[in-house]
Order: sequence, then structure tokens, then C-alpha cells
Amino acid sequence: MKPTVYLKINGVVIPVEVDVDERLVDTLRERVGLTGTKEGCRIGECGACSVLMDGKLVASCLVLTVAAEGAQITTVEGLESAGGLNDLQKAFVEQNAVQCGYCTPGMVMASTHLLSRYRRPTTKQIREGLSGNICRCTGYVRIVSAVRKTAFRRAKRRDGR
Amino acid sequence: MVGEVVQRIDAKGKVSGRTLFPSDLWMDGMLWVEVVRSVVPHAKIKSIDVSRAEAAEGVARVLTANDVPGLNAFGIQVQDMPVLCKDFVRYAGDAVALVGAGSKEQARRAASMVKVDLIELEPVWDPELAMSPACKPLHPGGNVLHARHFHKGDCGLGFQKAERVFEQVYQAQMMDHAFLETEAGLCYYDEDGLLTVESCGQSVFRDRLQIARALGLPLEQVRVKSPALGGGFGGKDEITVQIYLALMTYHTKRPSKIVLDRVQSMLSHTKRHPVKMYYKTGVTKSGKLTALQARIIADTGAYASLGPAVLDVMVEHAAGPYFVPNVKIDAFSVYTNNGFSGAFRGFGCTQAAFAMESQMGVMARALRMDPLKFRLQNVLHQNDTACLGNRMEMEVGAEQTLQAARAGRLYSQRRRLRKNRTGLNPYKAASMKKGVGVACTMKSCGLGAGVIDQAGVRLRLHPDGRITVSISTTEMGQGCHSVFQNMVASRFDLPAEKITLVSSDTLLAPDSGPTSASRSTFAVGRALMLAADKLESCLFGLARRDAADACEHIALRGHVFEIGNEQIELEALLEDQSVVADAVFPMPEAEVTMTEGMPHRVFSYATHVCLVQVDTMTGEVTLEAIEAYLECGNVVDMPGLEGQSEGGIAQGLGYALFEEVLLDRGRFVTTNFDRYVLPSSLDVPESIRTVAVMRGEVPSPHDAKGAGEIVTVGVAPAIINAIEDALGIRFYTLPVRPEHILNVLEADRE
Repeated sequence: MKPTVYLKINGVVIPVEVDVDERLVDTLRERVGLTGTKEGCRIGECGACSVLMDGKLVASCLVLTVAAEGAQITTVEGLESAGGLNDLQKAFVEQNAVQCGYCTPGMVMASTHLLSRYRRPTTKQIREGLSGNICRCTGYVRIVSAVRKTAFRRAKRRDGR
Repeated sequence: MVGEVVQRIDAKGKVSGRTLFPSDLWMDGMLWVEVVRSVVPHAKIKSIDVSRAEAAEGVARVLTANDVPGLNAFGIQVQDMPVLCKDFVRYAGDAVALVGAGSKEQARRAASMVKVDLIELEPVWDPELAMSPACKPLHPGGNVLHARHFHKGDCGLGFQKAERVFEQVYQAQMMDHAFLETEAGLCYYDEDGLLTVESCGQSVFRDRLQIARALGLPLEQVRVKSPALGGGFGGKDEITVQIYLALMTYHTKRPSKIVLDRVQSMLSHTKRHPVKMYYKTGVTKSGKLTALQARIIADTGAYASLGPAVLDVMVEHAAGPYFVPNVKIDAFSVYTNNGFSGAFRGFGCTQAAFAMESQMGVMARALRMDPLKFRLQNVLHQNDTACLGNRMEMEVGAEQTLQAARAGRLYSQRRRLRKNRTGLNPYKAASMKKGVGVACTMKSCGLGAGVIDQAGVRLRLHPDGRITVSISTTEMGQGCHSVFQNMVASRFDLPAEKITLVSSDTLLAPDSGPTSASRSTFAVGRALMLAADKLESCLFGLARRDAADACEHIALRGHVFEIGNEQIELEALLEDQSVVADAVFPMPEAEVTMTEGMPHRVFSYATHVCLVQVDTMTGEVTLEAIEAYLECGNVVDMPGLEGQSEGGIAQGLGYALFEEVLLDRGRFVTTNFDRYVLPSSLDVPESIRTVAVMRGEVPSPHDAKGAGEIVTVGVAPAIINAIEDALGIRFYTLPVRPEHILNVLEADRE
């Protein structure tokens, strides 16, 4: 019999029957239907499957679903606020940081994590923070500027208050 | 306005995770398909036993060569690759059987139960040995898939006139596209009973032909669609998983789904050809090229795919954008058991550019000439005869890119930049060497003379002023959909959101030709402009059914149709019908067809200048800054071009410094991203500058050319030239890894 695991995904508790050796990326994509999270290599090298677990950035291809029970999982589908893109997603669009778009959800999650660690990251910190996520199309330049821009705007908003 | 900042049509869906890629497609009751592949590079098949797999849990069907109802072969140029192998396997990854089961795990488990009894044969892994008559042929026609022998002028005389002659052997490695989304798709019978393959192909109409041929079905019974692809770069130009899906659904009448894992993907798609290039050039003391002789051997692997065309493009670009009066080229594309190679961004031009631009560096150094001046002195001009003896019919932009590069920061300040040690501690500073390198390149647009190369499009104007653009150019990240949207929007003074696209569906969109060869912006763009003119003529006809005066000014501007000074509201004119205009644009051909696909008429040009830092203690090379001067006609979407340029630079960097598909006697060693290392955000330079060198005064979509490939071909040679500038050591084999640099430095010290 398959165990039922209660997953907290994007703030909603979802019970899923899973195989004991099932990986979180497969559960998200194939059982929950959240296909925003992508798979690129299955060995944690490319970052396409990046999600947040209790605020930490993980490669969901290396996490067993049964081990994710109880954790707060955030996927790209959980980022939108008030029915629209959040400021980071908007910056990706506006900076032309998206080409084929397959790395984008993972890249957005890694950037989200990065911005939670550093309020005003340096370019070096951004480049290091995204170095676990492979993008084959863009050459990273515009992704780095999207993150930098978002950090700048958030800081400005904070200072404004 | 053409060239202004446009938001990508597809960005919102992609950044929110909502865009469905081929691997995201899903249907209830579908079967998961798993491919059984050969693990050995060369063998005779004795028998295939599928009985255990068939009996395994959840399995609906196991298919072998006997279940291919039509032609059991595919290939864009030559159909020599079996869909499923029957007698022989020719590379480590060749498909032998397909399993369709209720779940991915069941399919995988059953696939491991298929028993293939093989008699292993000695693999052919050295292309030069493969060419020798003593080597057993892998295909009935022998191991030379394709050969080209070209000469212009008299090379013997050219070398006599030369005061210096330089001979070098260059080797470029096998490279993987490493598109981030592996090959995937879904197949089903649509509501009209058409066998529908919704998958990852770059060219839906050609894929339909290949699928229908393998299944023995009329074309009209097959429908092929491509949603947004997670990257392509030429690696999805050939058939990948489409026929597997079609076969499974055809036999089971159930939807079927496939997603290759990375290992299967890296085994089973085409690669960039590994090539050995023997180059000999002659030059006068004053730095004028007199002759080029080249012998090129491309390892095309087990099957043809686009191997002949890649070789032809290599030959046509062998001399780069330079005028060489005497040329002799002998080129061979050779079968081996090393995977199989085909289309990859740059398409043969990349390898030739590495050899020729390295050779230009060698000569400039030996003659103590300024590398840019040396290039300018030999650059091709309009009406010059190119490498093959054909005339350059259109304006040649190479010189403008060189001039622009000469004025740029990296080149004009190269002496200071070489010595600059700011930010380094004194210990490190002592071991660091810096250098500036240049490469000037050209890349053809389109499929070449004598090949059917046309783009069909359809525009539908709705009464409320919206326009639907139907094309079959696949969006795989390159941004072509935004380019087309922008072109049509600016043509009619419409906001971009009024333009919607129907794309890449053989049932709903016209045949725009393959999404390859830097042809889409040029050919599809011009077809759209033709259709736009037609649309206005239709409106004129509607407004003045009886009027014969056709020379009046007519224009559609937003929702107003103008005839002379008269303005008619579109809604009043159309009532509630819509107007459709179809157009086909044939790619302009060269005045003389030399052979099928040669020569080309339209080219884009680039000069890359880069600054590298080499750590002589570790051998590590850092690309610190790069400038790309591109002449690709008038730019339709500048941020899009910059994005292409930056991505092309990252790929060129990987090609120059670390990416390499390694094989051990035909067996793949690098099958995932742990061993096949890709450029990360830490590898790319912080400073990338892309400059579009424009020729026309008024930006117009009529003058746009392709840019997808030219952005990458010059990057590796510019880096290799910069390393030479830094160390005084030239590398003739790609990639140049730290250990290669250290080996040479150590040998020098001893």
C-alpha cells in the first residue's frame, strides 16, 4: 500500500498517495499537477527543479516526497500575489531575462531565495547565488540584472516607509 | 516602431510557470513510452526477445522493427537511420524497441526486461581510419558519407606568390546542445481522427513528412504541433521522439507520452561534429592573403542526418569573411560509431571559424601586424569572389564590424587592459596574464541555392483591428514570435497586444519552412510584409469595388484604413467579417547554383573582441569582458538581439574552454551534467557589450537578417586568440582546459 503524505504546498495542505521512493519533483508535476517546476537532469546539477522547503532552496529531484511531509513547500505557482506576477517575476519579464523559459521557474525560485538572504546583494553574490541553476539560452546577464533591479526596488520601498 | 523595447510575447507565461512545454503535456489514459537502446556502439542483432517485457505489469505494448509499418528509416537529408534497429546497431544509444506502459516506472522496468542478443563488432571510432579502404563500411555506400572538392584560382601559384606559408592542424570537439528541456511529447488522435504528435520538433512540416513516411500514412492523416520548446539550438531539428510516440499511439490507439531523461537525451540526439582541419595559408610580407588550402574531415557518426549540409557550410565558410584569390578545399564527412552529429547553432561555420580565425592570428603574429589591421586588409567586399569562387552579391558587412571593433574600448585600450592588475593581491597579480583577442566571422542565412527554401504565412484581420498571424516557426527561446509580432504591429501602427499568433501546427498554420539556418527573421519576416501589402489591397478592393485607380496611397493604420486623404473606420468597412491574406516568400538564391545548398546569397557578419585573464598557477581562464559587433541587417528587437548575443557568447565560451562530449571507443563517457559541464553564471563575463552595426538609415523589417548563429561562431576563436595574446602560446585543439594550459606551461619551463 502506498503511504499518504500531507504536503503543504504554496500554503495549502494536499494529501497525496506516493511511492516511498518517489521524488518530490515527480509528485509535484505528476500527482499534484504543478508543472511549473521542471526537470532537467535528475541529479541536482541543473537547478530546473528548484523549490523552497521551509525557506531553503532545494533541488526537488533530490528530495524524497515522504521526507517533505510537514515542510512548507513553495513552487513558482505560489509566488504570484493578488492574481498577478510578483515584483521579481515582473523584473524577469521587463529585463528580458526569459528566453526558452525552461530554467526560468527554477531561476526565479533561486532568486527568491537569494533575495531572502541578502537585502542588497552584490553582483558577485547574485552570480554565486544563481550558479547552481543552468540557463542555456541567456548567458545569465539579464537574469542577474532582474535580481539586482528587484533588490534595488525593494530596498527603495523599505527606505520610503 | 521597429527596434524599440518590446516585451516578449511569451515571457509572462514562462515566468509564472503556466506555459506548457512538451514535457508538461498530459492526457488521461496515456501510456508512458520508454526506449530500449543499445549500450554498445557496434553490433549485429541476433535476436530481440520481448516476451518478458510484454508480460510485465502495466505493459500495453512492446514494439520492435517489425512493427514499423512504413519506411523504417529517417533522416532529413539521407534516410539511413532506423526508427528501430533490425539487423545492426551503429552507435551506443541506437533504439531497438519501445515499451508502452501505464506508468513511467512500469515502462522503465519492462524496458530493462527486453533481451537483445548481440554479436559485438569492432567499433569504428577514428574517422581517418574509417576512410581507409581497409575499414569495413558501416553503410552500403561506404564510410564517406559526403565529400566536397572545390578550387578557385591556382593554389600552387598562390603559394609561390606567398612570402610566408603557415600550416596547422586544428581539432574541434564534439559538443552537446544541452537544451535544458529534454526531448518530450504527447501523441493522440485528435477530434477529427488525425494522428497528432505534439512534441519538440523545430520544423513541424518536415517532421510530419518523416512521421508519415515511417508509419506509411498519407500526410493529411498526421498532424504535428510544437508548443514552446525548452531550447533547441539545432538539436531538435532532426526527428527525436516523434516517430516513437506516433508508433505507440498508432498501434495501441491510446495517447502516449514520452520524456527522455538526460542520459537518454545525451545519448540519442545529434551533436556538433568533431572536426579535424588541416589548414595551409600563404601570405605576402605586407599581409595580403594569397592562398588557402584546407583538408577537412568531419566525424558525422553513425547516421547522416544533416551531415552533408553541415560539411557544405563548413566548406563555404572555410576562408571566413576574407578575400583569398586561390583556394583548394577537400572535405569529407565520414561515418563512424561515435554517436551521430548534425545541426548545431553555427552549422559547420563554427568549426571553420575556429580554424580560419586561429590561422589569421598565427599569421598576424608572425608578420608582427596589428590583428585588426591584418583582417581589414583582407576582408571581403561586395562583388569579390568568395571562398568557392562565387560572387558576393549583397553588401558585405564584415568591414563595418571590424571598424566598429577597432574604435571599441577593448581594442583601443588593449595595451592598458593587458597590464591592468587592479583588484588583485600582489601574489596573484604575479601569476595572472591578460590578453585581448579578435575574431571576425560570417554566417549564411537560409538553406542555400537549389534547395526549396520558402516561408508561408497568413494574416487574418478582424473587424475590431486585431490581427492573427499564422506561421509554423517554432518558438524555442530565440524570440521569433516577438519579432514577428513586433514586425506586424509596427507595420500597421498597432499596439503589440492586438497581434496574436497561431504557430507550429500543421493543421492550422501554413508551412513557414524549418526553424533553422538563421532564416526565420529574414524569410518569414519578409513574407509577413508581403501578406501585409496584400491585406491592404484586399481592403482597397472592399472599399472601392469599382475603382480602377490603384495608385492612390493606401495604408492600414490601427483601426483606420486610409485611401488618399480619406479615412475609413475598419468596422464600417468589414462589418463583421475578417480579411485573410496569405503570402509565400522564397529565400533569395545566389545567381549561380554550384551544388545543392551552395552557395548562399545572404550572410550576417560579426567581429568579437574579448579580454581574458589566465592564471598561470592554475591554468584557469576567465573571460573578463567581450564586445560583439554584429551586422545582421536592421534590428527588429534590440533587447532580443542582445539576449541572443549574450547566450551565444556563453555557448561559445563553453565550446572554447570546457564543453566536450567524451567517447571511449564509441561509448559515451559524458552522459549527464555532472561530467558534461555547462557554463554557469560564474563563468560568463560581467561585461558583455553588443553593438548592432546598421547599414540602412531607416530601420525597417525589410532589411532584417538572421542573428541566431552569427552571435556564437566567433566567440571561441576570439577567446583562443586572447589566450595566445596573454601567454604567447597558441592552442590548436578545443576545448582549452586548465590542464592543457598547465601542461604547455610546464613543458615550456623545462
